[in-house]
Amino acid sequence: MPWYLYLALKQLFPSGRKFPFFTVISMLGVALGVMLLVVATSVMGGFGYQIRQMIVDTQGEVQLRDRGFIEDVGALQKKVAQVPGVVATTPFAEGVVMLQCDRKPAFPVIQGVDLDSVTKVIPLDRYIRVGNLSDLDDDSIILSSKLALSIGARIGSKVEVYSPLLLERMKNDEVLLPRQLTVVGIFEIGHQQLDSSVVLVTLRLMQDLYGLGHAVHGVNVKIAEGADPDRVAGAINRSMGAQSTVQAKSWIDANEDFLFVLQLEKNMIFFLLTFIIIVAAFSVMSSLLISVVRKTREIGLLGALGGKPRHVAACFCFQGFLIGLGGTVGGLAMGFGALALRNDAIRIFTQLTGSEEVLARFYQFSQLPSHPVRGDIIMIIVCSIVISTLAGLIPAWRAARLKPVEALRSE
Amino acid sequence: MSNTPIISARGLTKSFLSGDRRIEVLRGVDLEVAAGESVSIRGESGSGKSTLLNLLSGLDAPDTGTLAWAGAPVEADRRAAFLGIVFQSFYLIPEIDALANVLMASRIIQVPGAAERARAKELIARVGLQERATHLPAQLSGGERQRVAVARALMNSPKLILADEPTGNLDEHTGDAVIDLLLGLCRETGTALVLVTHNAAHAAKCARGLRLRDGRFV
Ligand SMILES: Nc1ncnc2c1ncn2[C@@H]1O[C@H](COP(=O)(O)OP(=O)(O)OP(=O)(O)O)[C@@H](O)[C@H]1O
Ligand SMILES: [Mg+2]
Repeated sequence: MPWYLYLALKQLFPSGRKFPFFTVISMLGVALGVMLLVVATSVMGGFGYQIRQMIVDTQGEVQLRDRGFIEDVGALQKKVAQVPGVVATTPFAEGVVMLQCDRKPAFPVIQGVDLDSVTKVIPLDRYIRVGNLSDLDDDSIILSSKLALSIGARIGSKVEVYSPLLLERMKNDEVLLPRQLTVVGIFEIGHQQLDSSVVLVTLRLMQDLYGLGHAVHGVNVKIAEGADPDRVAGAINRSMGAQSTVQAKSWIDANEDFLFVLQLEKNMIFFLLTFIIIVAAFSVMSSLLISVVRKTREIGLLGALGGKPRHVAACFCFQGFLIGLGGTVGGLAMGFGALALRNDAIRIFTQLTGSEEVLARFYQFSQLPSHPVRGDIIMIIVCSIVISTLAGLIPAWRAARLKPVEALRSE
Repeated sequence: MSNTPIISARGLTKSFLSGDRRIEVLRGVDLEVAAGESVSIRGESGSGKSTLLNLLSGLDAPDTGTLAWAGAPVEADRRAAFLGIVFQSFYLIPEIDALANVLMASRIIQVPGAAERARAKELIARVGLQERATHLPAQLSGGERQRVAVARALMNSPKLILADEPTGNLDEHTGDAVIDLLLGLCRETGTALVLVTHNAAHAAKCARGLRLRDGRFV
């Protein structure tokens, strides 16, 4: 090992000292910054990932819509099925209804799903908490969990559904009775808004409630594993022909604004938290500067022994690098440790403060998600090591500028 | 070849600017030291002894005059192999043990191998510190530290050792022992020695004695 690297190591970890206090404190500063970055980007990534998952799980990866209704959905489905990358399709209809259970009203979004094909596209059964998707028929309904709770419905309860068609008919002095449906299932996606305002019925019932005949509102498409949703959507659009008004949109395209905000938010957090590392780097710099001043005479001696100024500089730069490296490794360990324990920590915290409800309502999630992305982690590692090494640069420059004669004279 | 002096200085002058006053410290110093010769330099405090050693060691440049190491021009890159320096206040590196401090002199030139390690061990033993080789400088007495510094100065088998008041921080008895060790080792290895000292007895042990006054040897 060249002498400057050797000496850098020895100055950070002196022989015969079990606990290198100053080194550990400097590393801890960097480590805390890295830990916060890891935790924050992973949790942000987790939110983003869950939201994406939820969008895909409830809409499919590609969605087809026409300007109005899609009349001949069977033909459309056959055509789309030919497009490479398409695995399955399922038609849907959607709208808003009023729902009543024991005189408690609610105004959920209603989704009509095609029982034969829906699970090939959307993993609905994964989210059914009570009951069974196969029990759903034209006289039954599946409620989201929070909605069921708020109107006091459970499996077997009867609910009344008023569709906008009823109001339409009322204007013509016709009287239509609300549909009585039996609750056969309760689902929970884990997203506050979806869990409190969505109900599922069969497509046939929905067409009936809305007077659609055989028309639907759109078709959800599942694409092959690993295929690019944007590319498949493009292929579908091309296959439709010029005169068709049917439009395929990938979920990325459909939620562009939302995903952009999500990414922006994550970048902002990354940017802001990087300052923690910069602050830590400043403390590394000041402690290295102090060390240069404290070691002025030794630096003079190294020069007198024949050490070159640039090697003296390298000695201090390397110390910055080592502190950065050690701090980063420690910070990664602390960060992933904190992520592993996050839900226990939150449980204890919310139990102490009794704020579990608030957390779920405010953040839309019942658990703190985490989804570390390799690119983010590499970015954090590179940033913190580079910044720490740069922090060693000014002390190194000071040390290299010392003239041996003057350094040795200093008392 | 053996007649070439280890060091030869002609008309060295050096002055320092102190505020707006120029202090002329050296006003024309001539010095020749032959291989293996020991020379003592005495002089009052502030007479320029340390300044002269800095010029001889190439750490500082003279205002005028010429200086040659073994007949060749002074170059910073040659210093580590050509000469060893012993300072009044030891200047050991506190983070590493005695042996590593000795080895440091060679480490600066190249990554040390087995031969260098063996030599460092031998030198530590030669200065009577084999029991203390793994002690940190803080765990050594002043005399022991200066012996480590002597061993370090000898590490690269230099042609010349420059010693600036090596006993200045030591008590009389310890100082005598260090000087005897230094002179003995130089004689043994044929190394020339320039010894700056205030101590007449130490100066007398050298082959030649010089006195610096008013910027010249008298
Ligand atoms: N870098 C400098 N700047 C200004 N003056 C200096 C500098 N170096 C030395 N001097 C002056 O030069 C003179 C000689 O200093 P030097 O250190 O060589 O004396 P010395 O003979 O070694 O004294 P001592 O026996 O006390 O060690 C002193 O007056 C000192 O103030
Ligand atoms: Mg002096």
